[in-house]
Amino acid sequence: MTATQSLLLALLTPLLSAALIAFFCRRRGAIAATISVAAAASICVFTFLAIRGAEGQTLVASWDWLTFGNFNVSMGFLFDGTSATMLTMVAFVGFLIHVFSLGYMVDDKARGRFFGGLSIFMFSMLGIVLADNLIMIFVFWELVGFSSYMLIGHYLETKEAAAASKKAFIVNRIGDLGFLIGIVYAYWHFGTTNLNEMAAMVSVNPALISGTIAALLMCGFIGKSAQFPLHVWLPDAMAGPTPVSALIHAATMVAAGVYFLIRITFLFPVDVLTFIAWLGTAVAVYAGFCAYAQNDIKRILAYSTLSQLGYMSAAFGLGYPGIALFHLITHAFFKALLFLGAGSVIHGCHHEQDIFKMGGLFKKMPVTALTFLIGVLALCGVYGLAGFYSKDAILIAGGLGNTPVFVLLTLGAFLTAGYMGRLFWIAFLGQPKSDAASHAHESGLTMLVPLIVLAALSVVGGWIGFWPEQLGEIIRLDLDHLHHAEGYEGMHKTILIFGSAAWIVGLFGSFFFYGAGAKEDRLEKKASPVYGFLKDRLWFDEIYDFYVAKIQQRVADLLGFLDVFVVKGVLVRGSAGLVGLVGMCSKSLHVGNIHGYVYWFLAGLILFWAAAAGLF
Amino acid sequence: MTVGLNAFILVAGLLFAIGFLGVILRKNTLVIYMSLELMLNAVNLALVAFSRYNNTMDGNLFVFFIITVAAAEVAVGLAIIVALFRRRQTVMVDHLNALSR
Repeated sequence: MTATQSLLLALLTPLLSAALIAFFCRRRGAIAATISVAAAASICVFTFLAIRGAEGQTLVASWDWLTFGNFNVSMGFLFDGTSATMLTMVAFVGFLIHVFSLGYMVDDKARGRFFGGLSIFMFSMLGIVLADNLIMIFVFWELVGFSSYMLIGHYLETKEAAAASKKAFIVNRIGDLGFLIGIVYAYWHFGTTNLNEMAAMVSVNPALISGTIAALLMCGFIGKSAQFPLHVWLPDAMAGPTPVSALIHAATMVAAGVYFLIRITFLFPVDVLTFIAWLGTAVAVYAGFCAYAQNDIKRILAYSTLSQLGYMSAAFGLGYPGIALFHLITHAFFKALLFLGAGSVIHGCHHEQDIFKMGGLFKKMPVTALTFLIGVLALCGVYGLAGFYSKDAILIAGGLGNTPVFVLLTLGAFLTAGYMGRLFWIAFLGQPKSDAASHAHESGLTMLVPLIVLAALSVVGGWIGFWPEQLGEIIRLDLDHLHHAEGYEGMHKTILIFGSAAWIVGLFGSFFFYGAGAKEDRLEKKASPVYGFLKDRLWFDEIYDFYVAKIQQRVADLLGFLDVFVVKGVLVRGSAGLVGLVGMCSKSLHVGNIHGYVYWFLAGLILFWAAAAGLF
Repeated sequence: MTVGLNAFILVAGLLFAIGFLGVILRKNTLVIYMSLELMLNAVNLALVAFSRYNNTMDGNLFVFFIITVAAAEVAVGLAIIVALFRRRQTVMVDHLNALSR
């Protein structure tokens, strides 16, 4: 089997699984789960075969899909170092999440729909990872949007989930509009949307780089990766089942935006990059603050995801796409671990999500707690764990390139350690604070094994020297580049001190401020205006509500009136009425009604008079 | 006292309007016929009044013609209506719609 065939199989297996489930296993949850997990496992196998088959070469394969005149849409693979790395991560983390779902969703009534959704999601995500042109990326991009809509709204009988899925879908559409226009513009500008061809053109003639195209394509990234100002959907999307949050909102879907940027990095001029760096920095700090005013374990993690996405875009904006990919991969490991750990906690506590109603879980759920702790430490960037290496590289890039960004990102690192400490100390230490927590139990093996594997990856994932040779080529390249940059040695020491200080102060500060297993939020009690301000999250939702309800609705009403009155009333009904009138009048010429003749006679008189008066 | 031209024109106009509405609105052929005569006579009245105020004979001349023609027309028209009634047993216009069937 050639590498191309393996890739094709890796892409089509989840589609087949989704189709099988959709057509035959809607009501047979157990079978659907087996099919879906088997598909996820075979993706891993095929990915492995493809990477072995490619032998470190870039693989290009393309098939014509649609042809209109001389415009040709193709579907194809661009399988290089970047996509191999991403594919491995998506396949492997996705598989672990599938396994975890087996345990987590065991009591769910709509298991068939859930696992079908996971499969179609994997299909869409793999499509983005492998795509070789912008149009194909867009197609799968929308499929990801659809599958996330389906999975976020899994608990469709709750109003919250229904609203959240709609919100995620609609907010993403706003970004996608820019993306779509960007694709059209790129085609007009380059005459192709193929990534390789565009890269070749740009490398020959750098003047072809257009800020407008880059900015338009960036809109898609802003929507999908939940960057400012379209970040509002991500925290709400926590209404979905926890494995979905792990799959979509930590490891893969939001990462798709960053991955897309890395794929088209050659299209970006310096000013757009700087903008992205600032955007990411702003989100990193903003989300860090917001997380302090959340009590729902998943929402805290959601804001943490936002913040880490900010780090990724900052790294990209500073000109190190490889480091952005590095952080994306390590983040996928430990954030999937944290979300699955949260899922295990929620499952053990009988669907209690408020951290102030947990407490004392370390004794009840030792494995979950320990793996969760590893995840927390990795996220905070403790020396030697995965998060340390990637975050460090980002901070060094910031320190060398842009000092304000560096200062803010260090603040973000401190905030991260603080809220993660708050979450861990309150939920896992102390005494149980509710019946649900005191009856908590450790989860089953299908849930613990993924946790343990991910915990191991969160430890070793950052040791780039030990990665297989075929993976992480671009990461190594950018790290090398960074290591040989001027002033690296001094900056490295500074970062080591600042980065370590950030997590030490954050973790211990939150321990002493909140206390182990606290019953209430001390920040809320001592400084309620500050807490309230953080809870309001800069009023983004309120502003959007106001805009939609008060401004957009007015415009829509006006357009509706124009439609009903002018288009429907005057133009459509009016023209039909005119024709009807003519018909009625000429009918009266023939039906032998004397009064009809009188009117015609009168009309004739008027005509004669008008002719005589010279009116026409 | 003298009656002004406007008064004559007004009366003539009113008579004409009544006759016209009668033609349009009534259902009985006989009444429609009478309304037609009313319109002719309204015109006669207006013509006579104009003649008088212009001190010419043109209008009066026309009136004689109209009276003559109207007399002939009545003779023919009434005969038609009578013949119609004999044949159809009705003179209502909404029953005289054989063309539409």
